[in-house]
Amino acid sequence: MTQPADLPKDLPKDLPKDATHRLEELEHGLFTSDLSVNEFLLVKEAGFHPLGFVMGSSIYHIGLQTRKWGESQELTKLTEAMYTARELAMNRMEEEAEELGADGVVGVRLDVNYYEWGSDSAEFIAFGTAVKAEDGTSYKNALGKPFTSDLSGQDFWTLMQTGHVPQGLVMGTCVYHIAHRKLTQALGSMGQNVELPNFTQALYEARELAMTRMQDEAGQLNASGIVGVRLEEKSHQWGSHTIEFLSIGTAVTKTTGEVTLPKPLTIISLDN
Amino acid sequence: MSQSSAELPEAAVRRFRSGAFSSGLTVPDFAACLQLGLEPVGLVQGFCVMQWGWYGAGSSFMRGSNPYTMGAQSEGAYSESYRCPHGYVSAEHRMWGQNLEQPWVEAAWSAGYGAAYARMLDEATALGAHGVIGVVDRVTPVADSQTSEFHFLGTAVTVEDGPPPAGGVPWTTYLAGQRLTKSIEAGFMPVAVVASMASVRVWAYCITEYQMEGGRGWGNTNQTGEVEQVIRAHMAVRQLARKHVRQKLVGDALHGVQIDVEKRELAQGDEVIDCTIRGNRVRRFKDFDVVPSPRPTVRLS
Amino acid sequence: MSEDVALDVKAEMLRGAQSLATAPPPNTNRGVTSDLSIDEALLLHSAGWEPVDLVCGVSVASVPFGVWNWGQGEIGVASAAHNAAVQGAAERLKEECAKVRGHGVVGVRIGVEVRNHHIDVDLVGTAVRPVDGGSTPAVPFVSDLSARDFTLLKGAGWMPAGLAFGASFVYAPRRSAGAALQQKTQNIELTNFTQAMYAARESAMERMQRSALEVGGHGVVGVKVTEGPMSFARHAVGFTAWGTTVKLVADVHKNIEPQVILPLDDAVVMFAAQNLRGK
Repeated sequence: MTQPADLPKDLPKDLPKDATHRLEELEHGLFTSDLSVNEFLLVKEAGFHPLGFVMGSSIYHIGLQTRKWGESQELTKLTEAMYTARELAMNRMEEEAEELGADGVVGVRLDVNYYEWGSDSAEFIAFGTAVKAEDGTSYKNALGKPFTSDLSGQDFWTLMQTGHVPQGLVMGTCVYHIAHRKLTQALGSMGQNVELPNFTQALYEARELAMTRMQDEAGQLNASGIVGVRLEEKSHQWGSHTIEFLSIGTAVTKTTGEVTLPKPLTIISLDN
Repeated sequence: MSQSSAELPEAAVRRFRSGAFSSGLTVPDFAACLQLGLEPVGLVQGFCVMQWGWYGAGSSFMRGSNPYTMGAQSEGAYSESYRCPHGYVSAEHRMWGQNLEQPWVEAAWSAGYGAAYARMLDEATALGAHGVIGVVDRVTPVADSQTSEFHFLGTAVTVEDGPPPAGGVPWTTYLAGQRLTKSIEAGFMPVAVVASMASVRVWAYCITEYQMEGGRGWGNTNQTGEVEQVIRAHMAVRQLARKHVRQKLVGDALHGVQIDVEKRELAQGDEVIDCTIRGNRVRRFKDFDVVPSPRPTVRLS
Repeated sequence: MSEDVALDVKAEMLRGAQSLATAPPPNTNRGVTSDLSIDEALLLHSAGWEPVDLVCGVSVASVPFGVWNWGQGEIGVASAAHNAAVQGAAERLKEECAKVRGHGVVGVRIGVEVRNHHIDVDLVGTAVRPVDGGSTPAVPFVSDLSARDFTLLKGAGWMPAGLAFGASFVYAPRRSAGAALQQKTQNIELTNFTQAMYAARESAMERMQRSALEVGGHGVVGVKVTEGPMSFARHAVGFTAWGTTVKLVADVHKNIEPQVILPLDDAVVMFAAQNLRGK
């Protein structure tokens, strides 16, 4: 996972001692994975072997940020917080993968948990299964790190058959405050069919920011494209006028570009 | 236990006379049903409300004995006693405990289930059906009163060119649609819907009471341990339910089994555990054709 | 072609109905009870195995008073109780399986309830064995894999070896009032909390791995991690990790070579924009 220039570089590199112990056990040949049986078989089919279930987490306190009631603006402090927290979690997950000597991590999931005893704080967790190529080829990305991807086992196999390899999970986030409308404005347009320029502008800008940041990350990995892009919009615990836009996908590069996917059998399923 | 047709609810008689059929089948199930040569003749149901209590036949209270007396058990029913290892402690210290099967509860359940089922079969017979498919059964306790209602619903069908049902009793199954088709193709003929219930009451003795209430007494500080009496009761209730069901199978197989366990914790470590097992009783009518290994596939969209 | 199939099935139904008219010969067989669906039963048969009986295993482990009171670090007693309950239930399940001469149990449904004073574990599954007999193993395997997954894995040369399980319970750490105020406006990682939750999660996973190694497994698939505060003590958080331990029994893994299919069903949907919305 890459780091944008404006974030602190001194992210902690420590893993709890239970983690190092667990990873040692995995290095002795036992593998663990949260892949279903279907995914496990397809990952093997793609020529990879699962090494171990890896995860990283961070409990982050998200500071208050004052905002102007009537102005639509990005809340940069909150954006930074959401970004850094996920970074920390992802980094720790990658460290665990590196410790195992993995080529990459598949099936990455990013979750946010809220606990009752931590107001304004949330736990960010990243989970996935570290894998390694069985024929010894290295699949590490342009930054020399194991690739991360949120592709399922099925999607991973299919992607490899198209001559592309994943490089990393890329994401861009933007926390945006949407201005409340002034009373006069609201009364003026009551009952009419009218576009709400405030909202349009705000939501457009926010989404663009998120997607641009995601694409910048892909650029840093020298990727040729991004697949499986998802746009998530959540208010988390901030109320309905503050929304986080998260754009997330898997950056890929072409290796051979040769599609070895066998010709599909077309079927018509008569199920519900 | 079953009523004669003359005693069917008047509304049912009117409904059946109308001639058009109603069925609880969905469209795909209906299509599969016709493909099997089964013709729906009507929606049938059976209903019964049953009460049981301390005074049921066979209960220890009925016989004037006390569950705390050693040996208070019904003939042939499961029971296990537990005796306190401490010397006399106090009047509240529970020196005896027992796991007791409650056959009067089981008998009441059987009676209720049986009556509702028989009434559904009566309606099916009145329509001239050969079998009932897509059976749905529900047992609902009526709030707080040791009363339960048993309700059966199914679609009565006739088999094209088929013989009248053996012994005048239509065959029944929970399955309908494609699942029924697959079962027939695999060589299994539905015989009946079968369900059994077992009920065990835990009268805790001192050790169990302490363990279940978090007690630390008697030098057992800060240690965890398995609660033997309660575990024995749980294992017994499941084994008994399966034993009861097996008695109804007479060597046939039971498919699609569903097992439900309900436990009610009472005060002081006591518990009542009820286990119900339901399934389709089936009989093999042809030799089994092993299906060749299916081909695994990956979807592209 | 489809007409032939329809006639076939009608004929079968008729045959079945007629078979009921004749009373069966006296049968002393112990009837098979199985909770597998018909699809699963057929798949199992295609792999040369059959269901034998429904089997259960239960355990209740006591938790002494005061264990959940707010303290520091791991709640060792609760973890030990959880572990004891799972082990006890699995042992009884295996005993029932051995009694009916099954080689293992598949499709195990796991029910766990953590209460104030006791932890209850309830396991139900179907005991299975190869159709052509073979000697019963000393220790039957237990797995929460469905019969379908069991068949798939077996075809690739793997067999389940047991249920992998690990749990750890931990108290949420406290923050001093001063520290809480100071952190109010900052974006900052709460290292105490992070360490505590992270350590507990890793500890649960580590115990799961150990349980896999104990049965001589090569790996664990289908790991599921659950976590959450206790309903009766919200400052106590429990983490559990479950999975199925598997062993490679063939010399090498056998590739399954799947057929790629392209279903042409989506007449209406032109562009699946749902993916973009993260739904």
